[in-house]
Amino acid sequence: MSIREKLLDFKRRLSDRKMYSIVIVVIAAVAIWGLYQYKHAADLRQKLDNQYNRAFYDMIGYVNNVETLLLKSLITSTPERTSAILQEAWRQANFAQAYLGQLPVAQDVLANTSKFLTQVGDYAYSLSNNTMSGRNLSDEEYETLQNLHGFAASLGNSLNELQDQINAGRIKWGELEQKGTAVFQKASANVTAQQFENIDKTFQEYPRLIYDGPFSDHLVTAQPKGITGDMLTVEEAKEKVIEFFGRDKVESVENTGKNDTEPIKTYSFTVKFKNAPDDQTASIDVTQKGGHPFWMIYNRPVNEKKIGIDEAKALGKEFLASRGFPNMVDTYYLSEDNTATINYAYKQEDVVIYPDLIKLKIALDTGEVIGFEGKGYLFSHTERNIPEPAITMEQARAMISKRVDILSAGLAIIPTDYKTELFTYEFKGRYNNQDFLVYINALTGKEENVLFIINTPNGILTM
Amino acid sequence: MKRFDIKNIKNKIVFLLLAVILVYFLATQLGFRKIMMPDTAYAQGKGISDEQLLARVINGEARGEPYEGQVAVGAVVLNRVRDPRFPNTLAGVIYQPGAFTAVSDGQINVPIDPNSTVVKAARDALNGWDPTNGCVYYWNPETATSKWIWSRQIVKKIGKHYFAK
Repeated sequence: MSIREKLLDFKRRLSDRKMYSIVIVVIAAVAIWGLYQYKHAADLRQKLDNQYNRAFYDMIGYVNNVETLLLKSLITSTPERTSAILQEAWRQANFAQAYLGQLPVAQDVLANTSKFLTQVGDYAYSLSNNTMSGRNLSDEEYETLQNLHGFAASLGNSLNELQDQINAGRIKWGELEQKGTAVFQKASANVTAQQFENIDKTFQEYPRLIYDGPFSDHLVTAQPKGITGDMLTVEEAKEKVIEFFGRDKVESVENTGKNDTEPIKTYSFTVKFKNAPDDQTASIDVTQKGGHPFWMIYNRPVNEKKIGIDEAKALGKEFLASRGFPNMVDTYYLSEDNTATINYAYKQEDVVIYPDLIKLKIALDTGEVIGFEGKGYLFSHTERNIPEPAITMEQARAMISKRVDILSAGLAIIPTDYKTELFTYEFKGRYNNQDFLVYINALTGKEENVLFIINTPNGILTM
Repeated sequence: MKRFDIKNIKNKIVFLLLAVILVYFLATQLGFRKIMMPDTAYAQGKGISDEQLLARVINGEARGEPYEGQVAVGAVVLNRVRDPRFPNTLAGVIYQPGAFTAVSDGQINVPIDPNSTVVKAARDALNGWDPTNGCVYYWNPETATSKWIWSRQIVKKIGKHYFAK
């Protein structure tokens, strides 16, 4: 048969209902299969993008850590401390490089950045070994560290810019593979070339640095020390809640549950206020033992800012004093969205005790306290037996690197990573236009910690 | 004529069945619509990427929940970072394969309004507020498919989610 006849024959067959339905079935089956394949591909794409995003975020975090640690190594006072910090810098650089390798960017583009990270790590490691035995950094080594720190800082900035672009959707991971790499090339443009041996070592995971104030993230002790009083019933706890907010403000308190798990058992309440809409409520947890406030959130809109930060700090201190938390001093604050989050630490005699920490969120329209976070205080607070310092303030000051200008000094008790506390002198200093907190052990004279303070428009941040 | 009628009915049933299967397939795979949503641009806050990332997770996981529930989801993510059983970084916990449905199906890429409550909630969580008192698991009892999750010690319920250690 000719083609035309075949087509006519096909058309005739098609008009037969049976043929028609078979064709429909086949088309539908193909369509379903096609949709499934599309969905499957989209799923895989999403999984892949998630992996890239994770690697990218983590890498930026590690690069920032490297920069911070290099900066700290420039102002630490003893070779042993320098050595310890440089060793951490080496580890962080290794991680940054590992995650860099997971990104979908061509190898030759990443090569410079990767080389820089390896070399920074290697240099830090070798310096660490050299200073471990007590030798100070030579002027040349010091200058090299300064340069490396500068490069790390500019790499960090370029990466942050790149992250902005990816987040804003201007660059997608898929495109990066094809279009490349102009941005990555720019990111690695400022790195230096230095020849060092490559040292191969194994390493473990390392926790990130804290961001919301000094010592606000330390490990809590197993048994909370600050919870005094007797076990209360729900009704008795309700009374404590009303007292906390103020009897004249509260319209009703409803018990929404209780938490019987260790280490801190609590009752949960929802509070409605007079002169406020019914759906605008505060949530609060108080301890079953003693009815102490554990945390409170009152998410009401705050539309204007009438109160300055100093007044807010004073209002907060007054609030705490009237709720059974006397002698608290402010140590750090963050201000955003017409509210201020202020950290308060307990002060015993003239020693600031950082583990006994309470955070207040204050609305800057009326000065009302709309947030309370007392985990640190509840876990750590007791009246302590504070010894006399074994060294004088002048002796402690002498332990600090000469390169830092000291602005103020005091005594403090700080927490460690090992669930213990240390009695120290606290010095606020400045180096290279950046503010630092340096802690010198008041009993042994050893430098215990260095935190550097970043002043942002919203408040001060410590690292 | 009788024969023709029966064929007609059979065909109609076949079409109906196909249509039902197609609709069911599309309905249960509704997730693919979210993946197809374009990555539109949104204003990025300067510098604080942790806050943005956490806010996007909270948005994906707890969008309609009360404020306390949103802070609680943020706190669970942060508690996992500190817990030795989970990855040690924020991005590591969030992007851990299979950990959050909002990440697996792309909802984490939904743009968020910088003035929305999820950003405030992320900030509070990063500042230390933890309505869950230390939990590392949470689930919605109505949609949870894993039987294992019910073996965790439940601490409390906030909004639609149970929180557990």
